[in-house]
Amino acid sequence: MTARRRDILLSLGFAALLALVPLVFSTRYIISQITVFFIWGLVVTQWNLVLGVAGIFSLAQMALFAIGAYGTAMLAYYVGLPLLAAMPVAALVTVAASLLIGFACLRLKGAYVALLTLAIAQVIYLIVVNDTACFTNPPSGCLPLFGGVRGFSRFGDLGFRELLGSKFYIGHYYVGLALLLAAQVFCIVLIRGPLGLAFRALRDNPGYAMSRGVGKLRYQLWVFGLSAFFTGLAGAFYAANFGVVGPIVFSVSMLLFLLAMIVVGGMGTVWGPLLGAALLMAADEGLREVGTFREIGLGLVLAVFVILLPRGIAGLARKTEAGGPASRAGTGRKQVADSSDAI
Amino acid sequence: MRESGDLLVCKGVTKQFGSLVAVKDLGFTARRGEILGIGGPNGAGKTTLFDVLSGLNPATRGEVWLDGQNITRAAPEAICHAGIARTFQLNACFDSLTVRENVEVGAIFGRAAHGLPGLNPSAEARAATDEALALVGLSDKANHVAGDLPVLDRKLLMLAGAVATRPKLLLMDEPVGGLTHAETDLMMDAVRRIKAQGVTIILIEHVMRFLVALSDRVMILHHGERIYEGPPKGLVEDRAVVDVYLGEGASARLAAMLQGAVP
Repeated sequence: MTARRRDILLSLGFAALLALVPLVFSTRYIISQITVFFIWGLVVTQWNLVLGVAGIFSLAQMALFAIGAYGTAMLAYYVGLPLLAAMPVAALVTVAASLLIGFACLRLKGAYVALLTLAIAQVIYLIVVNDTACFTNPPSGCLPLFGGVRGFSRFGDLGFRELLGSKFYIGHYYVGLALLLAAQVFCIVLIRGPLGLAFRALRDNPGYAMSRGVGKLRYQLWVFGLSAFFTGLAGAFYAANFGVVGPIVFSVSMLLFLLAMIVVGGMGTVWGPLLGAALLMAADEGLREVGTFREIGLGLVLAVFVILLPRGIAGLARKTEAGGPASRAGTGRKQVADSSDAI
Repeated sequence: MRESGDLLVCKGVTKQFGSLVAVKDLGFTARRGEILGIGGPNGAGKTTLFDVLSGLNPATRGEVWLDGQNITRAAPEAICHAGIARTFQLNACFDSLTVRENVEVGAIFGRAAHGLPGLNPSAEARAATDEALALVGLSDKANHVAGDLPVLDRKLLMLAGAVATRPKLLLMDEPVGGLTHAETDLMMDAVRRIKAQGVTIILIEHVMRFLVALSDRVMILHHGERIYEGPPKGLVEDRAVVDVYLGEGASARLAAMLQGAVP
């Protein structure tokens, strides 16, 4: 069995197990929290394509998520599209935006890509919150074009309230699960196929990859465009799930939380980001009682992983499998690679 | 006409870094099917010439033609698609990829700029990968991670990656630098097998045993200019080559070796 088939079967297995959860636990809180996990899972699997697989240090991913969320809300609020139609349109808008950002950033290298993408995200944030001129005047009061600091609400829902009544959140749960399953299978097919090979070749050694026929800008634009679709869709689903979209989606703490998931789970691995998302959300849940210590705890976890386990938990699994000493990345990985999660 | 004649034609190629002229007004050709050896002291501009030919650092002036196509200003990937593959002096590899994946990069992307490379490597690409791995003798290490390989294997892997692009012209930058005598022989066999497939080869090497045994013609560069071009056995008789590059001792040893090898 190839690694690709194994991973796809694993995805289907996990999805089947998760599909049983609402039948066992009917507590709204648990179901809603797992739905949020699906949303962050969508974001980190796609971000990992850019960051871990292609090795491009882009911080634009939360801005793309925001474009998906705002796009959905605005299409529904202003144009009156049903959410089911607004969501894919918003996802495509996100792809276009990502390609534009790619054109602007991809001629730079390393930390400069991080700086420019972060700057672009901040510019979008400032455009949203600094615009105070009323675009429309709904009963709730003046609403700027991009919603201002208040954001959008009352732009419709996915119709589960009508269908399931007070159990509507279970409908959201299954939509989120289906989206995450599709996104994860998409990642697996991509990573373990020729395009993924091009991304990883450019990550490992761009000059060498180019002289073997892999055009740098071309394939880095591919990863920007492809990873943006499900990121935009994640934003769109966030809008549909919460019924509210505000500037909080741009917050740096949220960006760091998601980045930490990828780092803790294992950058550039197939399962690491989802593992990291589950772990950090559980840890965050556990630290909820201690208020501000939450963020300190998160910072500590991140620091410990960067120093001791730079390849994350998935990287640790790989070392144990190899039977080598659990040392830093780059050593002790002499083994047959096909059997591990590392790619 | 296509079967004979010149594959690569360089006209007045100059590469300048500020006031430093690394390659000066160099004109030469590589004939179809031959091995052209390039030697010369450190800083002679040999690797810079390869950077020019492979598009990583295009020429300041002059023209480079491959098979009737002007590739002087083409991007590295376009030059690869046109039919030039090169290996590097420092052992370039995709360290986190397996040996097989390393070669697959060349097999899948080295041929042409296609739209989307599909969900699986094409049968043709897989065959080219298998063939290239077999040619350098790395088939049984196909699933090893490239970053863990010893030096010889890394050099062979780089060569397999180049061959997998199915090039017309192969540029080899010091393929046996740092290798033992036995390893050098192994590399020599691999190069002969590649030549037998009809690939034209230009190789840079300081190990004269390797250079003279393989090359049909040799070109010696010094300060970016050609000081010698001709058959390998003419090297030891050329005053300029002996003075600036070989020195008297190495020259005598080389002469003795040539006597033995070329009666």
